[in-house]
Amino acid sequence: MARTRELVAELRERLGGAAPQPPPAPLPRVPEPPVRVFPKRHEGSRYARETAAHTTALLGIGQVGTRYATDVVLQFQAELAVAHEAVATELPEDWAAKNGLLGLRSRVTHHREFLLRPDLGRRLDDLSLARLKMEAKHGVDVQPILADGLSAVACMQSGLELLASFTRACEARGLTVGTPVCARYARVWLEDEIGQTVKARVAAILLGERPGLGTGDGLSAYLVYEPAVGKTDGDRNMMSNIHARGTPPAVAGDRLAVLARAMVDQKRSGVSLELGHLVAELGDAASRHHRAPQVRERLVEVPT
Amino acid sequence: MRLAATIRNVVHTFGSLREVLAKANPPKSGDDLAGLSARSAVERVAARAVLAQVTLHELRQNPVVPYEQDELTRMVEHTLNEAAFRAVAHLTVGQFREWLLESTTTGEHIRSISAGLTPEMAAAVCKLMSNLDLMTVAAKCQVVVRANNTLGLPGRLSSRVQPNHPTDDVAGILYSMREGLSYGCGDAVIGVNPATDTAESTAEILTAIDAVLKKNAIPTQHCVLSHVTVQMRALDLGCPMDLMFQSLSGSEGGNRAFGISVALMDEAYDKMKRMGTARGPNFMYFETGQGSALSSAAHHGADQVTLEARCYGFARRYDPFLVNTVVGFIGPEYLEDGPQITRAGLEDHFMGKLLGLPMGCDACFTYHARMSQDELECLKVLLGAAGCTYLMSLPVGDDIMLNYQSTSYHDIPSVRRLLNKRPTPEFDAWVVERDIWDYEHNRPGENFGRPEAITPVRGNP
Amino acid sequence: MILEPLPPRILSVRRIPNADPALLLAYGADPARHRSLGLVTCDQDDPTYVALDEATKFAHVDVVFAKSFYAGAGHASGPLSGEILGVLAAADPDEIDAGLKALVRCLESDACFYGADEAKKTAVFPHVISSLGHYLSAAAGLKPGDSMAYLVAPPMEATIGFDMALKAADVRAAKIFPPPTETNFSAAWLTGSLAACEAAAVAFCEAVVRVAANPKGDVWGG
Repeated sequence: MARTRELVAELRERLGGAAPQPPPAPLPRVPEPPVRVFPKRHEGSRYARETAAHTTALLGIGQVGTRYATDVVLQFQAELAVAHEAVATELPEDWAAKNGLLGLRSRVTHHREFLLRPDLGRRLDDLSLARLKMEAKHGVDVQPILADGLSAVACMQSGLELLASFTRACEARGLTVGTPVCARYARVWLEDEIGQTVKARVAAILLGERPGLGTGDGLSAYLVYEPAVGKTDGDRNMMSNIHARGTPPAVAGDRLAVLARAMVDQKRSGVSLELGHLVAELGDAASRHHRAPQVRERLVEVPT
Repeated sequence: MRLAATIRNVVHTFGSLREVLAKANPPKSGDDLAGLSARSAVERVAARAVLAQVTLHELRQNPVVPYEQDELTRMVEHTLNEAAFRAVAHLTVGQFREWLLESTTTGEHIRSISAGLTPEMAAAVCKLMSNLDLMTVAAKCQVVVRANNTLGLPGRLSSRVQPNHPTDDVAGILYSMREGLSYGCGDAVIGVNPATDTAESTAEILTAIDAVLKKNAIPTQHCVLSHVTVQMRALDLGCPMDLMFQSLSGSEGGNRAFGISVALMDEAYDKMKRMGTARGPNFMYFETGQGSALSSAAHHGADQVTLEARCYGFARRYDPFLVNTVVGFIGPEYLEDGPQITRAGLEDHFMGKLLGLPMGCDACFTYHARMSQDELECLKVLLGAAGCTYLMSLPVGDDIMLNYQSTSYHDIPSVRRLLNKRPTPEFDAWVVERDIWDYEHNRPGENFGRPEAITPVRGNP
Repeated sequence: MILEPLPPRILSVRRIPNADPALLLAYGADPARHRSLGLVTCDQDDPTYVALDEATKFAHVDVVFAKSFYAGAGHASGPLSGEILGVLAAADPDEIDAGLKALVRCLESDACFYGADEAKKTAVFPHVISSLGHYLSAAAGLKPGDSMAYLVAPPMEATIGFDMALKAADVRAAKIFPPPTETNFSAAWLTGSLAACEAAAVAFCEAVVRVAANPKGDVWGG
């Protein structure tokens, strides 16, 4: 008998015929090397340029299949890294004193505890409570509190400017302002105990907010009328994104003073605070139609 | 009811069903924060063993927040479907888990008993399930709702376009929205979290979005996620509003912290029924997230999974069009890292679906949580595979106003293609008509990622 | 899996021990030497030609008739028609029996087409006959005992394959059958040493597989 079956079986093995898939198609002819596709700069798109005047959102970035171009991925990862670094930064212990502020501290003792135990970040430690009682002015209209919150970077960068503009704007509206304090490892609700201790009518905490992509420098402000331990979020009015590329600190200070004035006048804060009649004033103060220079920083540069 | 189990000759006893429920939870930093977690891995399993023996009837008798102290408990008790409850009341939680997993139990069967379940029952069975169990059962549950389009059909994965802006710059919002639409996103809702919580601002944003949607005949809904009282005032200003939004919490006290109550939501719902602009019959949009009750000290010693389920008990009163958990938003004090956020996303989706809600998920992390971008991308695929109704979508997943990381405009078509899913049928037709997706080759169409293809309205980009 | 045997189906095997002379003449037999006929139909023609030749090596039989049917087994005139009718003739029924036995054995375990692709839509016949009988040797103009590669495939695949086979080993073409044939395949008979015939058959088979997998590219890729 001839060996044909054997020969064919050997050939089948050699061609990978026993594999569950057909033999791979031979390589197509390799095309000419492409013109350099990386870095593919989205700034080139007209849509991207148009939007850049209005928003820091990464728009007009195009796509590769349904995914991002390499350049976009690297920019994104760089921004993520910046945000994570901002979270990890701590406010130096002597920063408050160096800047002429009364230094306070919550009951938190270290950074991871600060992230996992907001309850401890809402109360003053014993020493701070004693200092506050001793050294701060009591019975004021507004108690301003600068704090690290989730970005000590923001606090150190534009906290003093916001504090100053807010203080000026309050005084311009006939409100008395308390001793400026600065709290470490602070959560928003720490303003309740501080305000209650100094018997302020309004407590205003200005603190570093959760970092965003590439922006570890945003501040938020929370105001509450008749601060007292036990107040909830519904009792507060807040403002976020206070930074050069959002609402600039100088403008924000003005608007927060409008809020504080409204609280004192209406003797309440939070959801029930009536702001309808203040829209014009708040609008102007917030500069809702002011186009802040919205340029997202380019973080990754590679030689081309 | 004797609440004890023996493991290796050690007897573990528990003081209350609430304690059993809490200790049966997989590890969560939020339960640690509340001081409710099991002391050890073995005690956790003991709690589960006890829970597996508890009947659904007993769970109804023992809500985690007492009837006398909480209007949500009372509302659930008064509105429970008795016939549906009777059908499953005799089952233990362990048996209920097996019944849900059994291949002869269909989505139809589950839907038929859903209205007889209290949130505590959904939470209890959740604790006996692994991640893949949660996905297996959730994938069976189909919840179909309609506003301007039809959400939740099999083989569909929808998305919210979330074009938030730090100063509510309307032009900036519209630019982002158009880009999202050009990636085939936005069939669940165009939903903006406003930076300024005023009726005027809400109305202005809604009016501008409405004009673009109408001009381009886009079958979807819009919503500005201001406080419900602000939206009610915006309705009075005469603005279009397809969906009305509110964040919910799992206890009366938690909701008080949000400035809402059952009565207020009833009022908002009635107003929306009269004045809302969507075709309906569903037009409410709710967001939830594990940890919200604890963050306002209104958790009554209950764990965050059970309280999350109670949000869904509240939500289903209003036949909502959208409900999603914002799973990693609230921070590491409630969900510390990637595994906890992943677990919570699958739990919430499961419990919501089990209770009959069109459950979506904002798969996200804040930058102070320990979750990587890769872990987050995995969660999106898991949710898609579990039949999640919708995900969020933002430019590179980055919310420039709320400062957190969610799903991106690019992720939605990627997950859809991976899992063979499509947007809602109405929106799908629009996507094809605009050549955003080419289904013949299942790849991006000519206008994919080309926001210029969405015509702007004069006066606004 | 590629290159799996596509076993031929023998559709009928019959004997006529004492055939009418008119019939013997009509089917090309010689009434002076032949009295008995053996008949076979099969759904593959080329393996049957090989099997008929095989019979001549094991019995005193002649292949007096063997013809493929137009358009092949897919268009058969009846359930037993298949693709070919082959007729052996001999002096007596015992010789016919011995011949048919060799023929059936060859069809059942040796000569067959193979699927050149996963879907088995392309059939290839890369058969090597180590030693020819007197039927195919006469048809090919060779001597009994010579080696021959009997190569068949659809026209495009076969044409590329023949070229590859002829270049792969020291063989020469005894006969090439370009399309169209009755069944619209193409065939070639190549001869040389046994080793050369084997190498040629393997090269042919490989070429058919590659053309089937990549109809518009170069055969060896690149």
